[in-house]
Amino acid sequence: MEVKQVKLGSFLLKRFLLSIFVIIGLSIVIFIIARVVPGDPARMALGPRAPEDVVQALRKEMHLDKPLPVEYFYWIKGVVRGDFGQSLVSKRPVAEDIKEFFPATMELAIFAGILMVIFAILLGVLAAQYKNTWIDSLIRMLSYFGIAIPAFVVAIIFMLLFGYYWPILPVLGRLSSGITPPRTITGLLTLDSLIEGNFPAFWDAFKHLILPGVALSLGGLFQEARITRSSMVDNMHKDFLAAERGYGIPEKIVMFKYLLKPSLISTVSIMGLDFASLLSNAFLVELIFNWPGISRYGINAMLHKDLDAISAVIIVFGVVFLVVNIIVDVIVALLDPRIRLGAARDV
Amino acid sequence: MKRSEFVRFLKNGLFFILIASLVLNLVGFQQQTLAATNIKVIRHTDSWPAYIDPAVGSDYASSISICNMYDSLVFPNPDGSVKPWLAKSWVISANALTYTFTLVPGVKFHNGDTLTAADVVFSLQRLMTIGEGYGYLFTSSVKAAKALGTYKVQFTLKQPFGPFLGALVRLYILDKKQVMAHLRTGTYGAFKDYGKGWLVTHDAGSGPYKVKTMKTAESLLMEKFNGYWAGWANKDAPQYAEEIGTTEAVTVRTLISRGALEITDQWQTEENLAAMAKLPNTKLCSFFEGSVLNIMLNTKKAPTDDIHFRKALAYCVDYQQIIAKLFPGTRPSTACPRSLPGYDPNLKPYTLDLAKAQAELKQSKYYGKLAKYPFELDWVSEVPAEEKIALMVQANAAKIGIKVNITKVPWLSLIDLLAKPASTPNGSVIFVAAHYAEAGSMLESRYESSSTGTWEQGEWLQNPQIDILIKAALATVDQKKRFQKYYTIQEKIFALCPTLWILEQAIKQDYRSDYVVFPAAEAVKQGKPVNPVMGYNFYYRDFKVFPEKAKQPYTPFTA
Repeated sequence: MEVKQVKLGSFLLKRFLLSIFVIIGLSIVIFIIARVVPGDPARMALGPRAPEDVVQALRKEMHLDKPLPVEYFYWIKGVVRGDFGQSLVSKRPVAEDIKEFFPATMELAIFAGILMVIFAILLGVLAAQYKNTWIDSLIRMLSYFGIAIPAFVVAIIFMLLFGYYWPILPVLGRLSSGITPPRTITGLLTLDSLIEGNFPAFWDAFKHLILPGVALSLGGLFQEARITRSSMVDNMHKDFLAAERGYGIPEKIVMFKYLLKPSLISTVSIMGLDFASLLSNAFLVELIFNWPGISRYGINAMLHKDLDAISAVIIVFGVVFLVVNIIVDVIVALLDPRIRLGAARDV
Repeated sequence: MKRSEFVRFLKNGLFFILIASLVLNLVGFQQQTLAATNIKVIRHTDSWPAYIDPAVGSDYASSISICNMYDSLVFPNPDGSVKPWLAKSWVISANALTYTFTLVPGVKFHNGDTLTAADVVFSLQRLMTIGEGYGYLFTSSVKAAKALGTYKVQFTLKQPFGPFLGALVRLYILDKKQVMAHLRTGTYGAFKDYGKGWLVTHDAGSGPYKVKTMKTAESLLMEKFNGYWAGWANKDAPQYAEEIGTTEAVTVRTLISRGALEITDQWQTEENLAAMAKLPNTKLCSFFEGSVLNIMLNTKKAPTDDIHFRKALAYCVDYQQIIAKLFPGTRPSTACPRSLPGYDPNLKPYTLDLAKAQAELKQSKYYGKLAKYPFELDWVSEVPAEEKIALMVQANAAKIGIKVNITKVPWLSLIDLLAKPASTPNGSVIFVAAHYAEAGSMLESRYESSSTGTWEQGEWLQNPQIDILIKAALATVDQKKRFQKYYTIQEKIFALCPTLWILEQAIKQDYRSDYVVFPAAEAVKQGKPVNPVMGYNFYYRDFKVFPEKAKQPYTPFTA
């Protein structure tokens, strides 16, 4: 057991070290790309009539007057210290913006992720269990719709359904005007309000999550439901299951304990990628529901050539992708001993 | 599937639906209960970010917020003049270089501090040092500011600047003490960050409204300041004003449809505005604030360097068709829009006349070799309506033999292209608004040489005579004489035809007419002018709100 843990630890360490190189590479690429986009960021930030000396001062402050490698050096030095520079759009430190907007998108993504996990597995199992019946067909049809319709279209439909025709859910922002927000602990309003015991805020924040969260989750949810179903159907007639059934183990246990677990490997892998994609794909959903998230912030930064903000957002997304991938690898390894041992051998 | 399994599945499904309905109904119930109050509010959507720091913000949304939370020495009138505000009187020296203002005594900031001349000096110095927002209005004209007493302040100008009083509506007074108490690390020496960090989400003003909550990138909620020095004669003014940071069509439409929005933003498409105006109790309000849609002609590049070629183009644009089909509610324009005080009423805008166009073209040095000199026309990809204008110009120009090559360019790329005469396209479709409510502002920012290289002047006019005339006009203190000089400049520019002035843009918004008295809409109804200074048509102190008269659908506001 101890040997296995050591091997898993080495595997994680290797992944972590590799991730550092990936992040450095990403930072260089995004730093260059952000600066290749046309437009003078200082002039754009200050407007066409700002005095030239003020524009020059800002250029100097942002090290835009220096060669690109020197500029990168100053920027990365700041990043290491947790200083991502100053946003030209929000006019405050980018780190402060990230601190405010990232939790908003994380909360949305976590909620959408939870919906994805629960309903993808449920629907997948249901479709596999009732393979080739009307239930399977119904889920298949729903899946086609769910996968084919982009999240922002679903968001618009939800907005019309629940914002106009049946206005029972809030459609704007994270918290209603009359609600006292909880003290910022994690930045996730639902969690912070629960920690503080502020139940009206929790309930209000939760209601605000429903429409954007569901809209965001549907694509991934149905895709994963289809993958779960396919894996389960593939594994359904494997010999080891015939053996379990031969022992007289009830079908439900066979289904959930012996069939579902190995069938989830591909689902979990896709889920990880889908979860990370939720962050970057949230842009239009955030726009429609006026959700103050990092995805919307990132796009806005690109439109305004907010150099430091663009770089910071991409780095944050990159880190999330890497962390999620490591977590997925660990879960997959836990689900399948062959992968675990294979990884350990690689180490 | 067995029958028993099917029945169980159905039962479970029904149970789930029942629970879900119950929860959703509870949600709806709670929302209704929470909102069962009739608070006077104006909820207005607009673009984000809203910079509420008067030394930073100058866009539409920011100007609305700032003019509601801060006061200036003078207040803009709808006719373009100013009236005493924080300054109860002033004296202008004979050489027009010194302005001495006497302040209204006892004006309180939102935190209770008293507004003094020291605050005025601090606010001006801060604005000029930071150099952002409306700072440019003062950096080129003001030499010094000093407090002559608690309630007396003096400004010394570098040279006479006629519209100085008008520009002063953009000098918003901050509480020095409060700002200095909230300094953070920054680059302004002893003033550290000059309070910029704190003022992103807080106000230090004395205006009729104060910040209640500022949710960055989401919404700004302003609350009525009961201790407002100028009083609250209007008892029906909104208690709250909320600036919601979205212009997303479906969101805005949903909000106004459910009665959760009093006034929409001005950035909606014609189709969306028309659709919303059809909703019960919702009306469309349209007024002019001095913004012109131009096709800027590069006068330093062939073939638009030829005056006859430019005039030929000016005569082959179907302005009426563009206004009727693409931008209904707008009107023709010349160098200065009609809504700006100081525009020349004698100038008649160019109209479609292909015979005149042909005659002008024949006088052009490029006549006979037009195939070698196509007209490169760039439009901004973020504004799809501009493409239609470009296509209409292309179609009409083809009738007189001018080849128009249309290019869709992202805004950032166009800004880069406009930085040099060689890279500036022959024609660029761009909206430009005046910086302050006077023709001089438009003339200076559009045709004076100092603005070349910016997106405000794709013409590269660089005409020394025009420069001298603009400077002389701006230095004229007497308004009547100044306006006469503006007329001369406009006539000269019109004759040079450096621009195709397509139309004067109308600000269009839908609003709830059953319970909101929107002063700008009322003025339009009565044929009176609206306030030409950007943001002041949303001076909420003048609004009247009667939530008790609101017809359904209406979503009351909870604070």
